[in-house]
Amino acid sequence: MIAARPDPIVDEFVLAPHVPVWRDVLRRVSRNRLAVVGAVIALVVVVMGILSNFWTPYPYWQQALGPTFQGPTRAHPLGLDAAGRDILSRVMLGAGISIEIGIGTSLLVSVVGVTLGLLAGYYRGKLDLVISTLINIWYGIPDLLVALIFVVLIGRGLQNIIFAITITRWMDMARLVRGQTLALREREFVEAARASGTRDRQILIGQILPNALGPIIVQATLIIPAAILLEAFLSYLGLGVQPPTPSWGAMAAQGFQALQLAPHIVLAPALALSVTLLAFNWLGDGLRDALDPRMRR
Amino acid sequence: MIFTAFAVSSIVFIGIHQLPGNAFLSDRRESPEAQAALLHHYRLDLPWPTQYVLWVTGVLHGNLGESLVNRGVQVTPLLLREAATSATLGAFALLITIGVGLTLGVLASIYQNTWVDYLSTTTAVVGYSMPNFVIASLLVLLTVTGLYRWTGGAFYENIGWGKPEQVIVPALTLGFPFASYVARMTRASMLEVIRQDYVRTARAKGVKPLLLVIRHELRNALIPVVTILGPLVTGILTGSVVVESIFGIPGLGNEFVNSIVTRDYNVVIGVFTFYAVLIGLANLVVDLVYPMLDPRIRY
Repeated sequence: MIAARPDPIVDEFVLAPHVPVWRDVLRRVSRNRLAVVGAVIALVVVVMGILSNFWTPYPYWQQALGPTFQGPTRAHPLGLDAAGRDILSRVMLGAGISIEIGIGTSLLVSVVGVTLGLLAGYYRGKLDLVISTLINIWYGIPDLLVALIFVVLIGRGLQNIIFAITITRWMDMARLVRGQTLALREREFVEAARASGTRDRQILIGQILPNALGPIIVQATLIIPAAILLEAFLSYLGLGVQPPTPSWGAMAAQGFQALQLAPHIVLAPALALSVTLLAFNWLGDGLRDALDPRMRR
Repeated sequence: MIFTAFAVSSIVFIGIHQLPGNAFLSDRRESPEAQAALLHHYRLDLPWPTQYVLWVTGVLHGNLGESLVNRGVQVTPLLLREAATSATLGAFALLITIGVGLTLGVLASIYQNTWVDYLSTTTAVVGYSMPNFVIASLLVLLTVTGLYRWTGGAFYENIGWGKPEQVIVPALTLGFPFASYVARMTRASMLEVIRQDYVRTARAKGVKPLLLVIRHELRNALIPVVTILGPLVTGILTGSVVVESIFGIPGLGNEFVNSIVTRDYNVVIGVFTFYAVLIGLANLVVDLVYPMLDPRIRY
C-alpha cells in the first residue's frame, strides 16, 4: 500500500490507518443493539420523508376527507384532524420537514463550528479570545428565545428556520473542535508537517481535521435531534414553517386544542417526534461509544 | 456574569433596532403626524446610538421602558410580576427535577440490573426523548380527562393558573425531562461511588444502609450532578416558554411569545434582559453551592 501511493510521507502518516479505523467503528456500532435500532428507525424516517415529497395517501392540504376529528379507520389509519385532513399523510410530510431541518442544520452547524473551532484552536491568541468569548456569551443565552426572535425577524421559510437554529447551536461544535485542535496542534505529526513547510491551511484540512473527525461526526449526529426538537418547539408556538405545510410541532399544537375530544390528533405527531428523537439519540450515543473506546459504559 | 447579561441584552437591543418594521406599522393607518408623534414619544426617531445610551441609562435605573403595544404600561413592573409567576413554576419544576431525578437515579443504582433499575432507566429514556408539549398532552389526558372519567366526575380540575393545585401538572411537565437527565447522571455516578473502598469500609463498620446511601454514597455522587445544575436552570427557563403557553400561565415566557408576535420590542428586550440576569444568578448560586459539596474546590 505504501509503495502504491506516491504521496509525501506526511500524507501517508494520516491516510494509512484510516480504513481499518472506520471498519472497526462500523463493526462496533453494529454490535450495539440500541444504535442499530436507532439507525434503522432513522433510516425509515428519512425514507418516509423523501417518499412523502412524491407520494402520500392523500394530498396533505385536502380538507373534509371525512367527518372532522374522526378516529383511526381503514381508509385513514391515523384518523382525520380538525379540518378533516388525513393525519397519516401529514405525519409523513412532517417527517420530511423534520429531516430536512435536522440534516440541514447539522451540515450548516458543522461548517460554521468546524471553521471557527479550527481557527480558534490553531491560531490561539486574540482570534481565540474573540471566538471563545463569543462561545461563552452564547452559552448564557436561552436558545429557544434567540431562535424565536430570529424567525420573527427574518421570516418563517425552511432556510430561515435552519439558519435561526444554527445561530443557537453553532457553539457546541465550535467548542468541541477548538478543544480537539488545541490538543492536536501539539502532536508530533503536526509539528513534522509544519517543519516540512506545509501551509497552515493544508495542516488544518489535511492533518488536524481528519484526526478530529470522530467527535465531529458524533456531534453532528446529535445536532440532528436537537434541531428537530427546536423546530418542533418553534412550530408548536406557531412560529415554525408556514401552514398548511405540516410540521409535527404545529400538528401537536392544533391537536392540543381538541385533546379531550380526539386525542389521536396529538398522539400521532407526538409519537412520531418522540420516536425519531430517540432513534437519533441512540444512534449518536452508539457512534460515540464506538468512536471513543475509553468512554464505553 | 453581569457582563454576559449586559452583552446579551445589548446584542439583542442593537440587533432589533437595526431591522425595519415596528409595532406601529401593522396597526391601523394613522396620519404621518400621528406616526411621527408616536415615534417621538418612544424616542424611536433618534439615531440608534442615542437610543442605546438612553436605554442603558434606563436599565441602570431599573427602567426598561414602556410597552409599544399597550401604551402607558411600564415594562419593569409588568415583568417583575410575571417573573414572580415564572419563578414559582420554575421552583416547583426544579424541586420535581431534583427530587424525582435523584430518587430514580439512586434507586436504579442500588437495585442495579433488577426490574427497579430497568423501570427507572426506561422512565428516564422516555423523559428525555419526549418534547415537553408531548408530556403535557399525556399528563393532561391522564389527570384532567382521565381522573374526571375514572372518578365519575367527582374530581375535575381544569388547567390554568391561580389555584395551588394547578401548579402540579405544569411543573411536572417542565421538570420531567430534566429529571431524566439528573436520574441518568446520578445513576452513573452512584455506580462509580458504590464500588469505592470507603463505601466498603463504611459498610464493614456497620453503618445503617439508609445512612450509608445518604451520607457516604449520595454526597459523593452528587458532585458531578451539581455541575449540570447551571445548564439545568437555563433549560427550565427556556422550557417554561413552551409550558407557559401550553397551560396559559401568565409568566415571562408567555409574555415573550406574545410580545414577539406583536413586535412589542421593548417587552422583548426586557424579557431577554430578565432571562439573562436570572441565568447569571442561577449560575452564581451553583458556583457557591459547589464548594459546599466538594471541599476540595476553592475559589
